Amino acid sequence: MKFLRHLFVWSVLLGLGCAGASLTLAAEPAKPMEAAKDLVLKGDAKCTGCHDESDEAKPTMLELHPSVLAIGKTPHGVRGDSRTPTCTDCHGDSDKHRTFRGSGDQPKTDRVFGKNTETPALERNQACLACHKGGERTHWEASQHANQDVACTSCHQVHTQNDKVRDKRTQPEVCFTCHKEQRVDSRKMSHHPILEGKVVCSDCHNSHGSAAPKLLKKNTLNETCFTCHAEKRGPFLWEHQPATEDCSNCHTSHGSNISPLLKSRAPFMCQECHDGPHASKSPVAGNAAGSQGGLTAVPSETVTGRACMNCHNMVHGSNSPAGAILTR
Amino acid sequence: MGYGGIDMKTCSEKKRFGVLALAVSGALAQMSAHAEDLDVKALTTPTNFVELGAANVSQTSAKFGEYNGLNKDAVYGIGNFSVQGGGAHDGSDGTRQWQVKGRDIGLTSREFGATIGDQGQWNLGIGYDELQHNLTNTYQTPQQGSMGGNNFTLPANFGAINSATGQPSARTLNANQLGAFHTEEVSTTRKNTSFNAGYIFNPQWSTKFEYNHLDQSGAKLIGTGAQGGINLTGGSSGRGEANNILMNPTNYTTDTYNLAFNWVGDKGSLTASYFASVFRDANNSLNWQNNLETGASACVGVNCFQNNSMSTAPSNTFQQLNLIGNYAFSSSTKLSGGLSYGRNTQDASYGPTTIGQPNGTTANSMQAGGLPQSSLDGSVVTTHADLKLTNQTTKDLVLSAGFKYNERDNQTSSNTYKYYNLGGLAAGQAYTAVNTPYSNRKTQYDLAADYRLAKGQNLRLAYEYDDIKRWCDHNAVAGAECVASPSSRENKLGLTYRLKAGDSVSLTTGYTYSKLDGDFNNTYLSPIGNSPQAGINGKDVPGFVAYPYASRTQDIFKAGVTWQATEQLDLGLTGRYSHDKYDATLGVQNGKTTSINLDATYTYSENGSVSAYASWQNSDRNMQNQGSNTATQNWTDKLSQDDQAFGLSAKQGGLMGGKLELMGDVSYSFGKSGYSTQVPYTSGATLCSLSTQLTCGSTPDVKSTLTSLKLTGTYSIDKKSKVALIYLYQKLNSNDYYYNGYQYGYTPNRVMPSNEQAPNYNVNVIAVTYTYIF
Repeated sequence: MKFLRHLFVWSVLLGLGCAGASLTLAAEPAKPMEAAKDLVLKGDAKCTGCHDESDEAKPTMLELHPSVLAIGKTPHGVRGDSRTPTCTDCHGDSDKHRTFRGSGDQPKTDRVFGKNTETPALERNQACLACHKGGERTHWEASQHANQDVACTSCHQVHTQNDKVRDKRTQPEVCFTCHKEQRVDSRKMSHHPILEGKVVCSDCHNSHGSAAPKLLKKNTLNETCFTCHAEKRGPFLWEHQPATEDCSNCHTSHGSNISPLLKSRAPFMCQECHDGPHASKSPVAGNAAGSQGGLTAVPSETVTGRACMNCHNMVHGSNSPAGAILTR
Repeated sequence: MGYGGIDMKTCSEKKRFGVLALAVSGALAQMSAHAEDLDVKALTTPTNFVELGAANVSQTSAKFGEYNGLNKDAVYGIGNFSVQGGGAHDGSDGTRQWQVKGRDIGLTSREFGATIGDQGQWNLGIGYDELQHNLTNTYQTPQQGSMGGNNFTLPANFGAINSATGQPSARTLNANQLGAFHTEEVSTTRKNTSFNAGYIFNPQWSTKFEYNHLDQSGAKLIGTGAQGGINLTGGSSGRGEANNILMNPTNYTTDTYNLAFNWVGDKGSLTASYFASVFRDANNSLNWQNNLETGASACVGVNCFQNNSMSTAPSNTFQQLNLIGNYAFSSSTKLSGGLSYGRNTQDASYGPTTIGQPNGTTANSMQAGGLPQSSLDGSVVTTHADLKLTNQTTKDLVLSAGFKYNERDNQTSSNTYKYYNLGGLAAGQAYTAVNTPYSNRKTQYDLAADYRLAKGQNLRLAYEYDDIKRWCDHNAVAGAECVASPSSRENKLGLTYRLKAGDSVSLTTGYTYSKLDGDFNNTYLSPIGNSPQAGINGKDVPGFVAYPYASRTQDIFKAGVTWQATEQLDLGLTGRYSHDKYDATLGVQNGKTTSINLDATYTYSENGSVSAYASWQNSDRNMQNQGSNTATQNWTDKLSQDDQAFGLSAKQGGLMGGKLELMGDVSYSFGKSGYSTQVPYTSGATLCSLSTQLTCGSTPDVKSTLTSLKLTGTYSIDKKSKVALIYLYQKLNSNDYYYNGYQYGYTPNRVMPSNEQAPNYNVNVIAVTYTYIF
């Protein structure tokens, strides 16, 4: 008994050591595995089933590119949808890659989407745009990203369940790969909650192309801002013309040292447009810091704190009949 | 024979076994094949997870928790999940899929979502997203009234404050008054509920509907100026322009609708959509009391106060019809374009203009007969058109031409309003104003050529012309010009060179020059019409031009290079420089911005990588203004800004037999802004540098330094579960002179202190989570 027990244990160990081993038996052959099944769509097996079992030198697709199969987790892997592409729909027929049996470097697929690819961006994009037509991509041709040879796969990951650029928490880091100034801006004292994943790049921008400046989603900058800040839309009885025309005359949307997202601060900001009425003519310096800044006279509310906006608070426009100079 | 096209690995040696071993091995082989089947299923079936945990935050700080919900010294629950199912990914031919997900369940930044649909046919989705923007937890006020309300009163026994020059002011509050101040944690909260649905009729036609309901509550701080000249019982009168910093309610709802019909064909696509945004403000006024007076008073109780009112954001509606589409005439010639027509209306009732006072009198902010109508009946029509044609003219040349048109036509009527300024109710503060509804039109033409010089080398030349027109269609002051710059034109020329040198180096460099010519009409009346504040050039000194309307030239240089130095090491360097020069005798003269960014990523192993970045930004703006009507009394001001950001992150997985992954993230960012004013003249006998003046020299710098360290360790207990330990340290140091004038004892005479403080914090967060994956 003891001998059989030992034999059993060693047999189990040896069997495990040859995981997936085929057996040489004088008796019945190994039970056939499940019938060939394409992963993921019919016909994909010629790609995912790379290398037949006699070719021991090269690893299988599972071992080499396990992430390839992850496409099955995504909308691109839904077999029941007649629109779902096969491997070759995107990567090309790739006959040379598929039929290669030599010993040197295997030719690449017709379209390569990875890093250091030699496939031009235009050609890579054609694979995507063949299906993803219209809608947000209507203005793709000659858009800023298209002109810079940005490919769809520069931002999108297809062979993964979670495409980083489509998740608000991880989208900014994808955009910051190229947009470095915005990476700095998003960390400034006053900022939209970009890094917090609440207001992200695609909330204002359509990276696939747009008729607006800076790839904004709506026709104009102001229209884009009013999507979330409709309280600024008016129209107001008393309009502040530079604000009505363009929010970016005063604001910088990605981040600023000066709250709330201002390019400059009152009274200096106001003095960039006003030099005459009330206190706008007066030079301001250390007196803006009041007594704590060394001023020995009584500080003035026209220069300290909110400065002009201590009274002229309705800088986006006023709907008060008595608010012509934006104080009500 | 493999299955699923995946071949089985073979051992190099054939093993001979005894009968028992053979049976075991046969069973093991079956198990192994089954295991690989499971591996494949794991790779192709979506992963679900539920994550639960807790986080402890060491310090209360509105700034640290500004957007992330961690604003209190407390323990928070962590909850995140994503569960999906349906037959779409189970290897069958099903298309049904559903998903429910949630994030930050225990925090005020929580979000939920659920979707269901048959891919390729229909889909439904609902969502909820919450965001509490914590503004400050240091604000103090004596005003009574809850945050989010629009009525604020002073305690009955608060008493008056004589803020006349030279007399005690808000800086010297008595014990009773100081005792009335209380701290309010000011925040504004957005709760967004959404619904969307889509249906695909056939491969060409589909429709999509989206609805959003945004509910806002809370408040933001606003400066307020009180009406002057209101007699108070016991002598004196209310101080004009006296400031109280109040919590302005953000009691808003915004309902947004978007319905789109899409057509897609072999050569083109078309989308027709209707968009509507309905904004409602629950309040039309903000009301408060002021107790700052012009002199000594024998007032008692509420008779020491004056009641004030100002407007809030008016409810309004925007509706828009849109049509966008594209068409490929051939593989080389494509056209895209769009049309929009929108209408923005606003007819909210004006807020109260007759304000009852505590002493039984009324104060009218309008003069007798000065109110022409009780609401604006405002209407703005927006139109948009765009067209872009691209053509691959030769193998190496792509040409494009584009046109854009945007018009904002304000069709609101113009009327005369006679009101009293904040200064008082006497004739000297009686102003007449005319509203001048503002319109503008922007037209843009662009041409570009993209030429391939050689393989991997491209040159792009682009030209753009912009034309802006500004006007007021309606002006009760007939014939008066109401805009400073009725028109401007900008020409822009840009050249960009791109090089891809082999597999490892990419270079982009470009230069853009633009020249804007603005027409300036210095006889324009500022929109306040013919009030005493109006005059030529909007009563700005002659020669002054507001910078958005000034002629200017602009140069922009950009360059960037990425280099894959080795298989493991990637480097990147980018830079940008821009310089603006304005053609204005007075006003902004010039500005420049420089930025440099350096990135490096080193992937030293399959499971480990380190990346770092460093960024510098520097900008300045110079302006020259006039201190009086004398041309010799010009002063200058310079705004300088410096920002730096550094980051280092590392990731190491595969530890402890593949079960442990460690991540670390360190970042440092620094921001500094400051103003420097030069006054080369003496005003009267007063030197600007005297401590009683300080109207020249530098302001203290506005500085902030943010240091952050995050360490995460994730341990996989098994394939289905893992635990994570997270430590976050964040420190913010900030200095800002902005807050000086609101401190007790340091306010101007006419300002009630609010104790607002520059945010500083030193926060430690420890979190533990457990994740179940299935």
